[in-house]
Amino acid sequence: MTAPGSSRGPTVIVRVVARLLLGPSVVVAVALIVKGYTKVGDGFAAGMVVGLAVALNAVALGARGAEEALPVLRHAPRVAAAGAALALVSGFFPLALDEPVFSHRPGPDEKVVSVGTAELMTAVSFDVGIFLLVVGVVTVLVHQLAEPDQEHPT
Amino acid sequence: MTALTLALLVPWAAGLALVVLDGRRRAVAWTSVAALAATLAVLAVLAADVLRGGAVEYVTGGWPAGVGIVLRADALGVTFALLSASVVLVAAAGEAVVAVRERTFPGLLVLLAAGLNGLFLTGDVFNFYVFFEMAMIAAYVLTAYGAQRAQLRAAVIFASVNLLGSFVFLLAVAGTYRVTGTLAMSDVAVRIAEVPASAAVAVAVGFFVAFSVKLGLFPFHYWLPTVYADTRPAVAAVLSGAVANIGAYGLLRFGAGIFTDQLRFSATVLIVLGAASIVYGGVLAVARRRPAEMLAYSAIGQVGYVLVAVGVGGPVGLAAAVLYSVVNALNKTLLFLTTAVRGPLVAGTFVVGALSVAGVPPAVGFVGKLAVFRTAVDARSPTLVALLVLGSALSLLYLFLIYQREFWAEDDDEVSAAGDDARGEHTRSMSLRAIIVALALVLLVGGIWPEPLAALSAAAADSLAAEANGAAR
Repeated sequence: MTAPGSSRGPTVIVRVVARLLLGPSVVVAVALIVKGYTKVGDGFAAGMVVGLAVALNAVALGARGAEEALPVLRHAPRVAAAGAALALVSGFFPLALDEPVFSHRPGPDEKVVSVGTAELMTAVSFDVGIFLLVVGVVTVLVHQLAEPDQEHPT
Repeated sequence: MTALTLALLVPWAAGLALVVLDGRRRAVAWTSVAALAATLAVLAVLAADVLRGGAVEYVTGGWPAGVGIVLRADALGVTFALLSASVVLVAAAGEAVVAVRERTFPGLLVLLAAGLNGLFLTGDVFNFYVFFEMAMIAAYVLTAYGAQRAQLRAAVIFASVNLLGSFVFLLAVAGTYRVTGTLAMSDVAVRIAEVPASAAVAVAVGFFVAFSVKLGLFPFHYWLPTVYADTRPAVAAVLSGAVANIGAYGLLRFGAGIFTDQLRFSATVLIVLGAASIVYGGVLAVARRRPAEMLAYSAIGQVGYVLVAVGVGGPVGLAAAVLYSVVNALNKTLLFLTTAVRGPLVAGTFVVGALSVAGVPPAVGFVGKLAVFRTAVDARSPTLVALLVLGSALSLLYLFLIYQREFWAEDDDEVSAAGDDARGEHTRSMSLRAIIVALALVLLVGGIWPEPLAALSAAAADSLAAEANGAAR
């Protein structure tokens, strides 16, 4: 990775755009999750949008620089694991109720509690889980490709 | 229904939890063994249900058929799921009693079991692909276990070739959807009859190539020797005993269960390719010196028998193919595990494995060979019978070459030094030897009392025939 600010590094425009894009990408991701189900959108696409923004930050600032600017990226492995767990729970909880897996609550034709456009149902929590998993995994991948762990001395 | 869901949930949830913990700690390694044992127990309950009451099937989310994804457990699926889970369990226990070297290893083994269970227990072509990728991704990382230069090279080769194979598979899945408009296996089997012959054959060839790459059949075997020989023994055992089952199961499920007409159409090609695998694998195994490399070529030869049996087809042929896949997976697991340990006890178990591969009576391999020979006799082909005898003779030759070099000439360091460098030193762990001996005893008991295994594979072949008949109606 080229150090930020060196003559061969990304220009200041790339660095500024990378920082500026992060906010809107999160907004777009939230919109993709919220407006899914009846329109285009789901957790995977939302996760890819945020993941690409994180990757662009790593390109612009270097993996270490990106992590200094956004300390939350250090929690990526935990975010991925929590997302996968949330998705699994949302998918398999009907087992405890003796229903087929991936039955969602509230079910079809039942009343759904809405917060603005967001509908509170288990299908949404499943997609939030997928979103967290995708963002976490993409961040870990970017980190590993930029600076592989020296876990195994050879 | 509960057992079918639990067979997915137990390894999936346990694998996710374990993969974030440090697998080098003994407690984590043993938890993974416990999780795999629990998976195996759930599968045993499911198998009992299936064998007593027929296939268990339900649609996720309670959707009408054709909308939701079908989970389906029939005799063929549970046979392969039980087999693969047992192999992964043995490998995990074998590594746990010595020392796990990498933090993600136990968790990945459990996730691999989750992926394998999923693909053996699904009735949907695309769902099959999803679980298939889940199992393969775990396998790619497992191949690098040990993280020496040799293992990393093996992992790169394995991942790149098999990603190509997966890509071909995905193309075939897309083609299936394009020509039949459905992804549920039972519907595909019905509608494929109305598809123009050329399109159906193109899709079927795509599936065949994808599964042959997984299985390491003759023209698609080129990745296999390096990978099996350079990975650590426990991983080689998992790759040949559990991951390769994807190929065998896929050939049976897609070939004999869905593309029945196309399979009949191309029977001769399959038999010729299978026979070529047998001879090629046998001859090259004799020419190699490192035990692991010999076993890798032996694996190429052994899957040839499965392909010949699938090619001949019919109830006898399909039952033989299932039986031989089971026997071959157990043989290879045992033999690859013995390459890591030394001692007179292990020498004895190696002989059991060798006799089983060659098909000599007390071991279970005899039952498998007998079934394949019956298939060849049924096909009324003296050439085929002669080729099978030749393959068996070659396997006896190369396995006892290994035995002579490795176990009799143990003090002769020159001979085994080359192999030892790549794989790390041999361990003399008593508990690992106990596990290997237990596996060898299973092979012997299976040979002396083959009825349960024969009944299971006959039931599996029946379930395929029922699927094909259902399509014909």
